Amino acid sequence: MKRRVAITGLGIISSCGNNINHFSANIMAGKSGVRRISSEYSGLLLVKIAGEVDFDPLAYFPKRQALNLDRVNQFALAAASQAWKDAGLTLDDKEKERAGVYIGSGMGGAHTIESEYDQLFRHNADRIKPLSVLMVMNNASASHISIEYGLSGPCLTASTACASSANAIGEAFRQIRDGYVDVMLAGGTEAFLTYGGFRSWESLRVLAVEDPDDPSRSCKPFSKNRSGLVLGEGAAVIVLEEMEKAVRRGAGIYAELLGYGSTSDADHITRPSFKGQARAISEALKEAEIPPQEVDYINAHGTATQWNDLLETQAIKKVFGDFAYKVPVSSTKSMHGHTMGAAGAIELVVSLLAIKHQAIPPTINLDQPDPECDLDYVPNVGRKGVKVNTVMSNSFAFGGTNAVLVARKLEV
Amino acid sequence: MSTLERLKKLFIDKFDFNVEELKPETTLEDLGIDSLDKIEFMFDIENEFQIKIPDEEFKVTTIQEMVDALDRFILEQRIGSLSPAMISNN
Repeated sequence: MKRRVAITGLGIISSCGNNINHFSANIMAGKSGVRRISSEYSGLLLVKIAGEVDFDPLAYFPKRQALNLDRVNQFALAAASQAWKDAGLTLDDKEKERAGVYIGSGMGGAHTIESEYDQLFRHNADRIKPLSVLMVMNNASASHISIEYGLSGPCLTASTACASSANAIGEAFRQIRDGYVDVMLAGGTEAFLTYGGFRSWESLRVLAVEDPDDPSRSCKPFSKNRSGLVLGEGAAVIVLEEMEKAVRRGAGIYAELLGYGSTSDADHITRPSFKGQARAISEALKEAEIPPQEVDYINAHGTATQWNDLLETQAIKKVFGDFAYKVPVSSTKSMHGHTMGAAGAIELVVSLLAIKHQAIPPTINLDQPDPECDLDYVPNVGRKGVKVNTVMSNSFAFGGTNAVLVARKLEV
Repeated sequence: MSTLERLKKLFIDKFDFNVEELKPETTLEDLGIDSLDKIEFMFDIENEFQIKIPDEEFKVTTIQEMVDALDRFILEQRIGSLSPAMISNN
């Protein structure tokens, strides 16, 4: 028999807040974390805006530890620490062997690779920071979390670009459901706001132009005048537990994770396919054993690129039929930016907060409706006092990887 | 500043130790510095003293042993940078 999976702890590091309460208040109020970036190289960039996290590593780590962690690892550990405390779990040695860590990250230790290669290429350094390999490797964040909490079950890293952390959470869910482990820390982390990172995205010509009146309003998902994505950074980690044990110990349960859809477009490296997306949505619902009509909120991938928003709209319509027009769909990337490998986890957290607060966060900056994007995107103003029992979070990545998660409020 | 003083300052800057914790007889183990920390710290030492620490020749357990090893490297590597003619003139 398949086991049930509870979500019992949340942690977040985001441009919209570095703890759940602050983040939740901002997201529900439609407050943007996007702004002009502070870096010294910003003058060299065409696009100078991002969802940059305000983060002091020394507030979280002793100096010697902070120096040996890339920013991306620092985010992951900080988010994991919140989630762990929130869940209030204590595990004995035996139980720790049945607990694991799955983290998603698209680009790993990008700050370290940039700063150390800069030493080599520009300053002709004859040697670089000895721990560079350990700070750059993609799996460092998951391993640091495993070490920190002594979780000695499976420890894996998903790297599927913008779907990384949705895949990490989905696969972690199945580890518990299928009986391999009882507890998982799962989520994602990304810190790719580097000079090289910005220039790479710039070259791909998918970044939003800065709003001339207000930089914080530059990301405009589903709007006719959308001009592309705004880069973000951050992390989110959640605690997953086998349901019976979670209930027995009296854990606070945000929701039950019910379904996960994982598909590949097998078509094109950047251009999304609504068919592949629709299959991921359908599979997640099928696994959850929930008809589309029971979904109360969809957190869209909603990057604000021309293609994503159009095709995601089509994918939702394909699965939901006429009900597509009734279910609220919002893109909170309009506020926290596109956090790449962390996006799926951050946006699942948003969806869980929608359940917690019985409220729906808006898509901000949606002033010019696009006739081809004609769903209820919760434009500009969030909704309070609404029924939110079942939520869906979509993540669609470059590479054609699609990951969809479905969670539902626990019936008591 | 003596080698010991310079080394202490590095320890404090890098690891946030208090000066009272850093006695000549203190071992790296006492300070909780593992092999990985040591590799990282050697990088800073090389920068500070403008020397190269050979891979196999920094087997030290106490701060005093570190100081002795550094003094030896400094001496060897400074002499090494002098021309044979200059050395023979001494």
